[in-house]
Amino acid sequence: MGLLSSQSLLEIIWFLFQKEHTLYFTGLFYTVLIALVGTMLGLLLSIFLTLMRLLENEAKDSALLKVLKWFTRNMGNTYVQFFRGSPLIVQAMIFYYGLASLGVQLNLIVAGIIIVTLNSAAYLSEVLRAGINSIDKGQMDAALSIGMTKWQGYRHIIFPQVLNNMIPAIGNELVINIKDTAVLSVIGVGELFYMGRSVAGTYYRYTESFLIVALLYLVVVLITTRLLDYLVKKVSSEKENCTVCSE
Amino acid sequence: MAIIKTIDLVKRYDNSDVLKGITTEFESGTITTIIGPSGGGKSTFLRCLNLLENPSSGNVYFAGIDLTDRHTKLNDIRQKIGMVFQSFHLFDNLTVLGNVVIGQEKVLHRTKEEAIKKADYFLQKVGMLEFRNRSVKTLSGGQKQRVAIARTLAMEPKVILFDEPTSSLDPLMVGEVLNVIKNVVLDHSFTAIIVTHEIEFAREISDRIIYMEDGRIMLDATPKDLFQNPTHPSVKRFLSRFV
Repeated sequence: MGLLSSQSLLEIIWFLFQKEHTLYFTGLFYTVLIALVGTMLGLLLSIFLTLMRLLENEAKDSALLKVLKWFTRNMGNTYVQFFRGSPLIVQAMIFYYGLASLGVQLNLIVAGIIIVTLNSAAYLSEVLRAGINSIDKGQMDAALSIGMTKWQGYRHIIFPQVLNNMIPAIGNELVINIKDTAVLSVIGVGELFYMGRSVAGTYYRYTESFLIVALLYLVVVLITTRLLDYLVKKVSSEKENCTVCSE
Repeated sequence: MAIIKTIDLVKRYDNSDVLKGITTEFESGTITTIIGPSGGGKSTFLRCLNLLENPSSGNVYFAGIDLTDRHTKLNDIRQKIGMVFQSFHLFDNLTVLGNVVIGQEKVLHRTKEEAIKKADYFLQKVGMLEFRNRSVKTLSGGQKQRVAIARTLAMEPKVILFDEPTSSLDPLMVGEVLNVIKNVVLDHSFTAIIVTHEIEFAREISDRIIYMEDGRIMLDATPKDLFQNPTHPSVKRFLSRFV
């Protein structure tokens, strides 16, 4: 069957999908992989980043330690400012071509995951910092007063409360990342947008190909949203069945 | 023997001295209450004793160990100095039981079974055993403070600092918490240092009362001496409000 101008939009969409569904699904797979792994790694990185930013000087600290803490704190803040203050597409270009100019040639999917991780960490660190600041500071005092270290206080008392409140924000970041991976096509990552453009160019059918792409993004985003709602409910019900935890 | 000792303790905020060189000591197994007008430095002094507040200068000793020394492992000392806070500061992510268990598990490294057994014992002692599986968010102020006391007791500290433990409670709940405190401190199994505005309670349970005003200890006496013959004009004025 050829692509005649008399064919309807739906017929052409169906034709493209039948012919090139492997490309679309491969792109979709990489989109989900990069967004999911990037968000999860970004969350882990954001925890360390937030701890760096929340480092406080203590009276007993030596002068050298105070300088080191100041430096660490400012490094964390500068990182967040840079990644929140510049577009993902620019970060992708700097990261990928910057490394390439130094002779480091990364696998494109790995590069995509690293770029999304670095970007998400900055946004999630802001969410985490706001979450920590919203928890009554007295709970950390209480943790310290029973002999916990500051890290134990964060690990067992503060973070469980913050992360629980953060689940919707993490989900939101994941949904944003699913859509934002499209900009990685600029460095040649074979995600959904890249594949859609490739099919469009081959058949010279841009509207039809990108309607398929849009539909696939929509389906994945809706499924992700539902799964996140389910996760929030599951966490709540587990809290009810736990003898020591209420969050 | 003095279990806690302070030497020339000073705390300064923005060029204003909240503590102006406090030197005192607390004998093991005694009950000391600290009274005085608000803003006199009582709570700051108490928070300096476990270094939740870092003194600007001076020293705090626990069993001869200088807490202000950079090399002292504060966490090891803090597990022996419990603290009950004015605003309870329960861990909101945990149940009543979880609040009493977590320190035992993570700090004292007790097994879960052992920690739960101890927790149940101390929850029983403060009358909160029946609430053990409740979220702490659902408790009243008095109940929260009783859980906070059980959490502190479960660590079996040598000293417990009570920082105005009834100030955040409505009048109906003050009595229930004071009774619990009275019950747990009167067996003298630990040293109690209590900042309070409950003068009758202080008179009833204290071995010693310290009157603090303007960042200084103005009077340090037995309840009998302080109440029967308050010679110091500030103390006289302060007590006259309660008589």
